[in-house]
Amino acid sequence: MHLGRSAQEGQVPALAPGLDPARLPLSPAEGFLLSRIDGRTPWKLLREIGGLAPSEVDRCLERWLEEGVVVVASAKSAKSAAAGSPPAGPSKPASPAAPSKAAPAAAPPRPAAVAIDESLLDRSLDLTVEAQRRILAFEQRLAEPYHQLLGLSADADTKAVKRAYFELSKEFHPDRYFRRNTGPFGARLERIFKRILEAYELLSDPTARAEIERAAEERAAVEAAAAPPAAPSVPAPAASQEPTEAPSTAAAKAASVEATKRLRQLPHLRAAHLKQLAERRAKAKRFFESGMAAFKAERWLEAAGSVRLAIAFDPTNEAIREAFGDVQRKAHDERAKQLLREANAALDLRDARNALRLFEEALLFKPHDPGANATAARLAFLIGDDLKKAKEYAQQACELEPNVPSNRRTLGQIYAAAGLAANARRELEAALRLDPKDLEAKEALRGLGRR
Amino acid sequence: MGRVIGIDLGTTNSCVAVIENGQPTVIPNAGGYKTTPSMFAISQDGKRLVGHLAKRQAVTNARHTVYASKRLIGRRFDAPEVTKVIELAPYEVVRGPNDDPRIQLGDKVFTCPEISAIILREMKRIAEEHLGEPVRDAVVTVPAYFNDTQRQCTKDAGKIAGLEVLRIINEPTAAALAYGFGKKRDEKIAVYDLGGGTFDISILELGSGVIEVLATNGNTFLGGEDFDRRLVSHLLERFQEQEGIDLRSDAMALQRLKDAAEKAKCDLSQRETAEINLPFIASDAKGPRHLNLELTREVLEGLVDDIVRQTLKIVESCLADAGLTPSQIDQVVLVGGQTRMPLVQNAVAELFGKRPHKGVNPDEVVAIGAAIQGEALLAEDKSLLLLDVTPLSLGIATFGGHFTRLIERNTTVPVRKGHIFTTTRDNQSAVKIRVLQGESDLAADNDLLGEFVLSGIRPARKGEPEIEVSFDIDANGIVSVSARDLATGKEQSIQVNATSTLSDEEIQRIIDENELYEVQLKP
Repeated sequence: MHLGRSAQEGQVPALAPGLDPARLPLSPAEGFLLSRIDGRTPWKLLREIGGLAPSEVDRCLERWLEEGVVVVASAKSAKSAAAGSPPAGPSKPASPAAPSKAAPAAAPPRPAAVAIDESLLDRSLDLTVEAQRRILAFEQRLAEPYHQLLGLSADADTKAVKRAYFELSKEFHPDRYFRRNTGPFGARLERIFKRILEAYELLSDPTARAEIERAAEERAAVEAAAAPPAAPSVPAPAASQEPTEAPSTAAAKAASVEATKRLRQLPHLRAAHLKQLAERRAKAKRFFESGMAAFKAERWLEAAGSVRLAIAFDPTNEAIREAFGDVQRKAHDERAKQLLREANAALDLRDARNALRLFEEALLFKPHDPGANATAARLAFLIGDDLKKAKEYAQQACELEPNVPSNRRTLGQIYAAAGLAANARRELEAALRLDPKDLEAKEALRGLGRR
Repeated sequence: MGRVIGIDLGTTNSCVAVIENGQPTVIPNAGGYKTTPSMFAISQDGKRLVGHLAKRQAVTNARHTVYASKRLIGRRFDAPEVTKVIELAPYEVVRGPNDDPRIQLGDKVFTCPEISAIILREMKRIAEEHLGEPVRDAVVTVPAYFNDTQRQCTKDAGKIAGLEVLRIINEPTAAALAYGFGKKRDEKIAVYDLGGGTFDISILELGSGVIEVLATNGNTFLGGEDFDRRLVSHLLERFQEQEGIDLRSDAMALQRLKDAAEKAKCDLSQRETAEINLPFIASDAKGPRHLNLELTREVLEGLVDDIVRQTLKIVESCLADAGLTPSQIDQVVLVGGQTRMPLVQNAVAELFGKRPHKGVNPDEVVAIGAAIQGEALLAEDKSLLLLDVTPLSLGIATFGGHFTRLIERNTTVPVRKGHIFTTTRDNQSAVKIRVLQGESDLAADNDLLGEFVLSGIRPARKGEPEIEVSFDIDANGIVSVSARDLATGKEQSIQVNATSTLSDEEIQRIIDENELYEVQLKP
């Protein structure tokens, strides 16, 4: 999908209906961006608040669009969608009632008055513009709770469910447009029908329906509890944290609660899904615990691997993500240590190129290691392919340890080789001030004078 | 746009229908018959004969007359069903290059789709003559229990016959469409279809122009011909008792006996007794022998009672699938000539506690339903919609040779379903996804539709990796299967193309060959 920048800016990404974000292989940063996507925040704003560089935000969103992870609606439709269901979050007044059956049941069947993106209409297709409008409007509603999707109240009986399913099938079953040129509407019809079918199947199954209702109650409870910032008993994972927190963590917590809530609002409230979610959380917890045990035992790499897995299983768990920072640092140190060992072994074997590669890799994990920078500079200088690179390492080494004479000498030699005589002189003289007996520096300085 | 026809490609008889002026109409053949025998023969002088012509000479040309080839289509040569046909049929069945059964008539070997194509072409011709215009589009019916290969072979047959098969639909579903056509009431119906070769039962629900299949079940090897066979065996035994001669190895005598048995069976649906008179059926040293027997309805019923009871068991399990009791069924529709038998009607009435519906002709109802579905697909105003289902369960092979279903049979399509699987060994880096179709809990007993490998799974203890396998069936019944490692996001998928026993090249070759043949035919 390639869109003009301005076209993108007006778009409002929303999570694709039926999507389980917890199953996506995301980095924590990407997970954060995904958690900002709520079907109301326009693309433009996501660039600001997505926690990534704007270009990175674009890249992620474009990829997710292509993968079908997110769908876009125009800003206009988003506004009216927001009007339809009041924005949730801390600003929302707490619902006074404890979770009760009445809460989810109170949601009235909503008429399909959703604004659509007119630019998607295509008069050349073999279906009327009116039909296209209805398809687009209905497609936007796919994330709604099942009964609402079918236009029913929560207590509708199975007969009503079936009638609604039949009526919607007549309108949206792909066979209605058999052998017609429906362009992209063919895939929309399939998505819609699959979803209606799912709603019908689950609402007709007493066990599944009971699960859906229980989930709706749970959701209502989370919503109620999310309103006062320090509610004592929020049944969301973030609630296990201490209620006395720095404001930043409180914000994170609110975000996490909201994310959880949004997760729950997504339409996969069926029994199997909830069970899966619970299983995934349990798994995340197990991995996290074994990761922290490894961390205590100073097995850093293992710890990072486990915690990374824990995040994969429960990307919304803020506590795990926070811990990941420390674990990752240690793991990076460890990895850098390993690489430096290998690099030094390569040096012993006089394999300069390999050694340089290993030092450079180590520097990725530990950019501020002075020794590694110094050696990398020396090696790059001796190999001589890329003096610019050599200079950068040398400068870094000098910055980190300005009083090590060899650092200054190397930088000076590199400047000399690059023809920057004044810079070279300055560095070489500094090296000699630090160590007057540095013969190599003297030699280099002499060479400079001869030129 | 031309007209769309509905074809009931039956095991023993076929029927074609069309919607004319909004009314479904069965098209009679040149002889005025509304059904045409699904028979094909090559006569002694090399002429190709189809339908009634083939049937008329079947007795004298038994070795070169093909009937009931629908029993062979899409099966493997070693399948028990094929072995059974080989035992019974007077024509020669040989092993084809794709391990498929083929039929040898003289020095020419025919594939099964080719034989079906010959019948379909005949039905197409009957329709064209009646309509006075070329026909291209058709909906063709198959037994509910046909698997993907059998359906694909039937589609190929349509292609060879010069037809565009819009849909393959199940025979009982078609019957329900015919029954439900123009009905406004909401009701649940059971379609009991006992045809010549197969038995099918379907439970459907009608409501405001939508027909939903709730459950189907059946047996592709249970039908009127089993009744005939029982009767033939009975006659053979009695003849041997009386005359001491075994007619089992005499092809011509067998064919005569079969014809006589079928006729007697039909007669016994109307009368209490029937006479079977076959003069000169055999001869030995003592001269010519005649078969002359009287048969009563009671004797026939005694011979086939267990077959009828077998069908009732299948009905009960189908009801259970639909979650209904017999009394919740509002209407029972009978399909297939064998349901004319009083024993069958009584057994069905007893099970459901109500007499079956009388308004539809059991021989024509399936073709009519097919025509209705064809019209419903192409019509501008959509007053009727069929919510069709997958006939067989789909799933994958799991540890220990088990079959794990992801999409149960009778699931409405289009549909998408997924499930999480895991590894069975520590540090297992790849899993093989074997896509199967069938109803057995044992993987080996189901049909393999395709397989692929998902590799690059992060090393972990067994049971830890999570691999999501999802099945997707689109509106045209095309199945895609994908597997995704949730930890790495790695994904592999295949589109499961229904395999035919014929390759595309072979189909083209047959089409070309037939064209030549058509040219030859023209004077």
